[in-house]
Amino acid sequence: MATTTPAPFPFPATYNFPPFFTPQPNTNTRHSQLQKWSSLIQAWCRHHRQYRLSLIEAIDTPLFHNSQLRKRLDLREARAVIDWMAKSESQGGDGRAEWIEAPGNQAPKTVAWIWWRRPEEWADVIADWVEGTGQRGVVLTVYELIQGDASASQEFHGMDNDAMLKALNVLVKRGKAQVFGGEGQEGVKFF
Amino acid sequence: MSRRGVGLGAFVNRNQTTQSYATHGANLRSTHLASLQTQLSVFQSLLHTFALEHSSTIKSNPTFRAEFARMCNTIGVDPLAASNIKGKNGRRGLGEGGSFWTQILGGDMNDFYFEVAVRVVELCRETRSENGGLLGVEECRTRVGKGKAIGSGLEVSEDDILRAVRSLEPLASGFSIVRVGTKQYIRSIPKELNTDQATVLEAIQVLGFVSVSMLRLNLNWEKARAQTVIDDLLADGLVWLDAQGPEKEYWSPQNLLDDSG
Repeated sequence: MATTTPAPFPFPATYNFPPFFTPQPNTNTRHSQLQKWSSLIQAWCRHHRQYRLSLIEAIDTPLFHNSQLRKRLDLREARAVIDWMAKSESQGGDGRAEWIEAPGNQAPKTVAWIWWRRPEEWADVIADWVEGTGQRGVVLTVYELIQGDASASQEFHGMDNDAMLKALNVLVKRGKAQVFGGEGQEGVKFF
Repeated sequence: MSRRGVGLGAFVNRNQTTQSYATHGANLRSTHLASLQTQLSVFQSLLHTFALEHSSTIKSNPTFRAEFARMCNTIGVDPLAASNIKGKNGRRGLGEGGSFWTQILGGDMNDFYFEVAVRVVELCRETRSENGGLLGVEECRTRVGKGKAIGSGLEVSEDDILRAVRSLEPLASGFSIVRVGTKQYIRSIPKELNTDQATVLEAIQVLGFVSVSMLRLNLNWEKARAQTVIDDLLADGLVWLDAQGPEKEYWSPQNLLDDSG
């Protein structure tokens, strides 16, 4: 999934700054560093249309490994960055990631949602689209919503199914949609 | 004339001479003053005409603006000092207040520098955690030139930036210009660099990064001295640490700017 996009990812200048890959001892500097990592990870995932990031898989990709500089972010450090991103803004993070609990539970978490758009933001995008195309009251399957021709021009086209459901749940809570049907067969009705 | 003045009459004579010298001097002075005044007013009006004629260029072309400002400075007219006092009772001498830019180019020249100053302050605040409050003037210029939103770029010269920072002085903002080596920085945190710290920053400019052993070799410093300076710089957030090499390296964050936004 990560390598299917033809255009190369434009890395920011920070990526070629060797200290970027070492956790900074100064708190202020560290904060700035985490912000930069967060925006890099978000941009990377957005570029590759990736909604979840598996650290085990990503740790050897160019995202965390700058082969030119021969610097890398090790697993522990990458985890620290995601930990920070998973904290809400009021807790000092930026609320742009969410750990996905492994079924085994005890093992350390290695997969996370990367919210380059948060579910609430996705919900807005979808609601706008529904509104703009006059589909209120229409019933769609989630599969149609994600893969259908009607949404081909939309940013959520081809979106991760679970991520889509999270976004739809936001709409459900707002009373703007209803989701029904079983696992893998979900349908949705917009109000 | 040929006879030396002796006796009582000499006193009267001398008095007369002194007096006539004095009147003559006064005459000369007033002619000089008059001619200088004419020259000055001619020059003033020429400067006016010049500025008016080229006002659009002055506004739009940073190099031209800088040269014009430099010319004004050379002849003792500080456009910025003059523009700080907005419209104070119209026409007065060029050098002594009034509102030079306003008179000549209209109010938007003031606004221009204030605009630049606002951008500079914003940028300094945004990047403070990244660079410890020391921002290269050149980097600042590039960044202000790019702007944040589309079309919000301001084409400015370094001179404009320096002027803008100086225009903040009356606000006691703590913003100032420091020179380290060949580079000028805007310092937004009122903190003095000591000589050792400045030396290390200068070394980083030249070499790209430094390590303790590099400082020991190049500057003949003892290990403790090198380590202390570096620790101070780290604590102030002025350098970043790279611990993935054989020895700890310390880099300056000055070239990080272009993607923090």
